[in-house]
Amino acid sequence: MKQPIIKFENFSFKYQSLQEYTLKSINLEIFEGEKVLITGRSGSGKSTILHCLNGIIPFANTGDIEGDLTISELEPHKTSIFEISKKVGTILQDQDSQFIGMSVGEDTAFSMENDAVPLDKMKQKVVDCLSLVGMEKFLERNPYELSGGQKQRVSLAGILTSSPEILVFDEPLANLDPASGKNVVQLIKEINKASGKTIVVVEHRIEEMLECGIDKVVVVDNGQIVKIGTPSEVLSSGIFEKLGIREPLYIDVMRYAGIDIGKEKISDLSSAVSSINDNIKNKITSYISSSQFNANQIKKHESEIALKIDNVSFSYDKNKPVLKNISFEIKKGEIVTVLGNNGTGKSTLSFLINGILKPDSGKIFLGTEEITHWSLKKRGQEIGLIMQNPNSMIVKGMILDELELGLKSLGHPKDTITKEVEAALKICELWPYRNWPVSALSYGQKKRVTIGSILTLKPKVIIMDEPTAGQDLMSYKLFMKFVKSLSAQGIAVILITHDLYLAVEYSTRSIVIADGEKIADDKPCAIFTMSNILRRANLKELSLTNLADAAGIDRETLISRFIASKGASL
Amino acid sequence: MSKFGSLYVNGNSFFHKLNPSVKLLIFILWSITVFAFLDLRMGLLLLAVGLLMLSYAQIPFNIARNLFIAVIIFNLINAIFIVLIAPDYGVKLSGQETLLLNIAGFKIYFETCMYVLVISLKYLSLLPIALIFIFTTHPSEFASSLNSIGLPYKLAYTFNIIFRYFPDIQNEFKTIAYAQAARGISFGKDEKSFLKRVKNLFGIMIPLINSALFRIDSITNAMDLRSFGKKTKRTWYNQTKFTKKDIICVIVSLAVFALFISYKILFSITFNYKLF
Repeated sequence: MKQPIIKFENFSFKYQSLQEYTLKSINLEIFEGEKVLITGRSGSGKSTILHCLNGIIPFANTGDIEGDLTISELEPHKTSIFEISKKVGTILQDQDSQFIGMSVGEDTAFSMENDAVPLDKMKQKVVDCLSLVGMEKFLERNPYELSGGQKQRVSLAGILTSSPEILVFDEPLANLDPASGKNVVQLIKEINKASGKTIVVVEHRIEEMLECGIDKVVVVDNGQIVKIGTPSEVLSSGIFEKLGIREPLYIDVMRYAGIDIGKEKISDLSSAVSSINDNIKNKITSYISSSQFNANQIKKHESEIALKIDNVSFSYDKNKPVLKNISFEIKKGEIVTVLGNNGTGKSTLSFLINGILKPDSGKIFLGTEEITHWSLKKRGQEIGLIMQNPNSMIVKGMILDELELGLKSLGHPKDTITKEVEAALKICELWPYRNWPVSALSYGQKKRVTIGSILTLKPKVIIMDEPTAGQDLMSYKLFMKFVKSLSAQGIAVILITHDLYLAVEYSTRSIVIADGEKIADDKPCAIFTMSNILRRANLKELSLTNLADAAGIDRETLISRFIASKGASL
Repeated sequence: MSKFGSLYVNGNSFFHKLNPSVKLLIFILWSITVFAFLDLRMGLLLLAVGLLMLSYAQIPFNIARNLFIAVIIFNLINAIFIVLIAPDYGVKLSGQETLLLNIAGFKIYFETCMYVLVISLKYLSLLPIALIFIFTTHPSEFASSLNSIGLPYKLAYTFNIIFRYFPDIQNEFKTIAYAQAARGISFGKDEKSFLKRVKNLFGIMIPLINSALFRIDSITNAMDLRSFGKKTKRTWYNQTKFTKKDIICVIVSLAVFALFISYKILFSITFNYKLF
């Protein structure tokens, strides 16, 4: 019998500042060369487990430890963070702040510099490790100029220089567009295959992670391990549905088709294609043709135009256009997603619409009125921009003050302010908390505060940048229900995202931007059948298309049927 | 958002290749000299030499131009205030009195005008060398160089980090400011009341500080996880060595500095506004 390389025995941990234990009596064995996925809702304790592995706990975040943890014959809390980092290499979630060096080469060398490795040996090893991840040609480049996937590769090279036996990834897919995410998953698979290193990944994007051939899935909830098993065992147990964790879409479809995954005894549930057998194929086919399905279920929108972008171009630097001749319209009460790779100009587009930037050419209309030359202040009252991180928008300590701020500074009378703020608080379901300090709110609630403060200005259009990033399925659903209620009031909502689920499940239309051009503008379910568009925009095919192909069903039919089921269950 | 990572501008001029510690030494000696003298000749000389050096440093013209404009505006305001508040300051310093203008009892003296000119030249002559130092010094090389002349590496690395993240904070500041301006809270031309502008500016400090603290936390973790501080010594990927050229530069700058200072001590001139 092999010895486990990582072993938690009745392990508990309590942060210094908290009353309750975050990890409660964990038992977990991980063997050499395994690929392990640790998953769970936000706040379940999955990141805490990871911090125990890499030594952040207890060396940077102190607290009380009970029970035992051994990592490759080492008891981490009895040594030092440096000893652990030789055994365990960590790839952090926040890509930008994990770069310390100013060039790819320097960053890769950081750990060797601290180990006082002589310069000639260091330079050789930097090149070797960068070649392992296919980044040797980027030696002199600034890490900030790389794409998300390339950044992940460089940080992996930096970790490989110290040859750790175990690699831990903290949400490697967060902030990555779908294609780069797929790329990173592939890289993890390759590194594991080539070097036999043990891989531990903490991630809530389960469907994508399964593609690297995960050996063991660990489900954490409320500080306890509630399920350990192979992907098929865990998926068929129904634990994800019970906890409200997003399952792979093909599993969702099977459920809608009335397939009891637990009873079907499917040998390999880890991908759409491997799950298909004749019985399942038949059930899905009959699901597609079932009479409840009505293509007109998708509700018609008011035809009045809220916003019109007409032939807009923009560049920061004359030689490098960021956006080229972009045109589209958004109707009142519509929810439109803008999809595209990182750095294709999606954020620039939102700045242009909002008025932070002025287009080089082209016009922008609000309804029928041209607003291209309106000031930022005037435009801001009609078109609200919600940034990804609420912490960079909130300036007041108290919720009520934050909501009042905009109207106050525009000089509205006191009773108008009170009335508008009350209405906005109620829409955002923040009325009971109105006298709370902002710091007491959850991330999702803070996000609502930022929307509330924009709603007081009664905007006609709201643009949200990555609105659901960093939220688990439960808060995601709640939040999107809220967004839908805004659109029901006639506000046009533009969601800038690379979350494909979001596009498919909640938007009526998707606009795809690639290399500064609009390459598609259609119903999401239609877009996800266009392989060439997806490839150009660095998006990824949904597992639904694989499922459709494997079952021999038309892709668009399956996707739109699926959306109809989703709509019915929301 | 940051695409630049630091203020450093890539290039291969003489100053880019000069050891950062030597640049720091020249910068310090230059500043001492500037503040030691209140002399028109010295101001002109330092400014001329500085501009000559700047022309070799391959710094983008628009960056240099904007900073020069800013310093000149600052000087003008400063000059007006001096003339208004202490119109006879130059007279007291030089012991000479030459009346230029008499506007309804308010007297403008030639000596005070010259004093203002000399002061402005002083500030202006600091700018080229500061630009050269900031824009041609690679932060990591600077840190490695400071470490090589005996500064503990943890302290040296602090300088690196400050240089490195300054543009990030700047970008963050812009983003936050835009978000506020869009809902009517501006501190630019949109806002007419100056007092309100200042008040609004203080408001956005809270998210800015929050974001900086958050950033510090992640950087600290990232550095800890990669063994920063493990040993008493560390090596540097961007190592700098002292070349012959560096040593010659040190000797020349120390010699020139010694010359200036002995001149200052020997003749002890407090204020000179004459060229000859």
